[in-house]
Amino acid sequence: MPLNIDLQQVLLHMLNFTILFFALYFLLYKPIKKFNSKRADYFKEMEAKSGGMLEEANKIKDEYEAKMAKADEEIEKMKESAADEASKKSEKIITNAKQEANSIILQAKTRANKEKKAILSSANKEIRDLAEQAAEKIVMEGTLESYESFLDSVDIPESEENE
Amino acid sequence: MSKKRKIVSLTIFFAIVALLIIGIVLTNGKAANEETIKEVMRDAVLHENNKINLFGVIEVNPGLISAFIVSGALIIFALIVRIFVIPKFTLVPGKFQYGLEKTVGLFSSISEENSPHKSYFIGGYIFVAGIYIFISTLFELLGLQAITTTGSHVILPAPLSDINGAIAMGVLSYGVILFGGLINAGPKGMLNALKDFSLPISMSFRLFGALLSGALVTELVYYYQLTSILLPIIVGILFTLLHAFIQAYVLITLVSIFYGESSERKPKKQKTKKRGKINE
Repeated sequence: MPLNIDLQQVLLHMLNFTILFFALYFLLYKPIKKFNSKRADYFKEMEAKSGGMLEEANKIKDEYEAKMAKADEEIEKMKESAADEASKKSEKIITNAKQEANSIILQAKTRANKEKKAILSSANKEIRDLAEQAAEKIVMEGTLESYESFLDSVDIPESEENE
Repeated sequence: MSKKRKIVSLTIFFAIVALLIIGIVLTNGKAANEETIKEVMRDAVLHENNKINLFGVIEVNPGLISAFIVSGALIIFALIVRIFVIPKFTLVPGKFQYGLEKTVGLFSSISEENSPHKSYFIGGYIFVAGIYIFISTLFELLGLQAITTTGSHVILPAPLSDINGAIAMGVLSYGVILFGGLINAGPKGMLNALKDFSLPISMSFRLFGALLSGALVTELVYYYQLTSILLPIIVGILFTLLHAFIQAYVLITLVSIFYGESSERKPKKQKTKKRGKINE
């Protein structure tokens, strides 16, 4: 054969490479490819999982934010109602106090009037009694002395008090 | 003078002396080769004289022995990796695991790029072929020697610098393309591959030519004593590394492209109805 080509040796080279191909293909290429694809699948799964988890977290966050907004609204409402209630209560207390004060003043006024009336009536009565006594005396004695003594008798209660 | 400086000076002195002795020995006329450069070159191409006895059955070219040694070493390496390393693979790879994954990923991505419809098998094929071509070309750097049937010593060459090895590689690769086309795209795919009937010849002789030229340059450099002192560092290592890489890359790219072409299922052409003439 030209160039010293030997068919038997060509076949031996082919056999050698075929054995090498099967050995390296099954011992190295396939297991490493399998491992690589397994790892790729694992990371894909992880990515999908983390994507799901992120979605869930976002959902929870949205829910939480909505709840917070609701709570804020509720708090505002409660604040408003509490303020209303407080103002109502304070108004009530104030009106009650005013009413009480008015009634106290009214009571005091009526009592004062009553006392005034009582004092006035007692004074009138006293004056009337004194006048009656004086008239009696004047009528009984009919003299100036009696008049002076009358006047003296008017002063008696004062001297008696001083003594 | 410090201790470190003393050591450096002594090392330089002994290195110069050793280099001079090597030079004296090499320039001695007695160290000349028994074969002429013509014979060496002819034998590197044709392997007519230096044959090696294979298990006492047949006489083979040294390239075949190199092929067996390289394949044996690769299979042992693969076995060790499969038994001791792959079961301990982790999600976050170490340096060695990363290297293995990167190598497989490189060939896998080349196959996916050039043969997008059917890439798994061809990825495996170009993985093995690429590694075989690269490692077997680097094998000649080891300079392992074997005894020929004539009793002389011969440095084991790269397996693919043997024409038989290159033909085997080319024909096998063409077979993969041909049968890949038949299996994946039916007879049309096979016919598509058959159109490129010159492919096995071109692939075989490209490999043979590239690797043989490297071997011939190396033989030439080593033949003369003066050129065999420092020049082999550049010629032997850099050239070998370069053409090992280039040849592996060229073959795997060609095989994956042709495999992709032949295994592609082309959509059936829709028959267009002929429009009749209006006034018929």
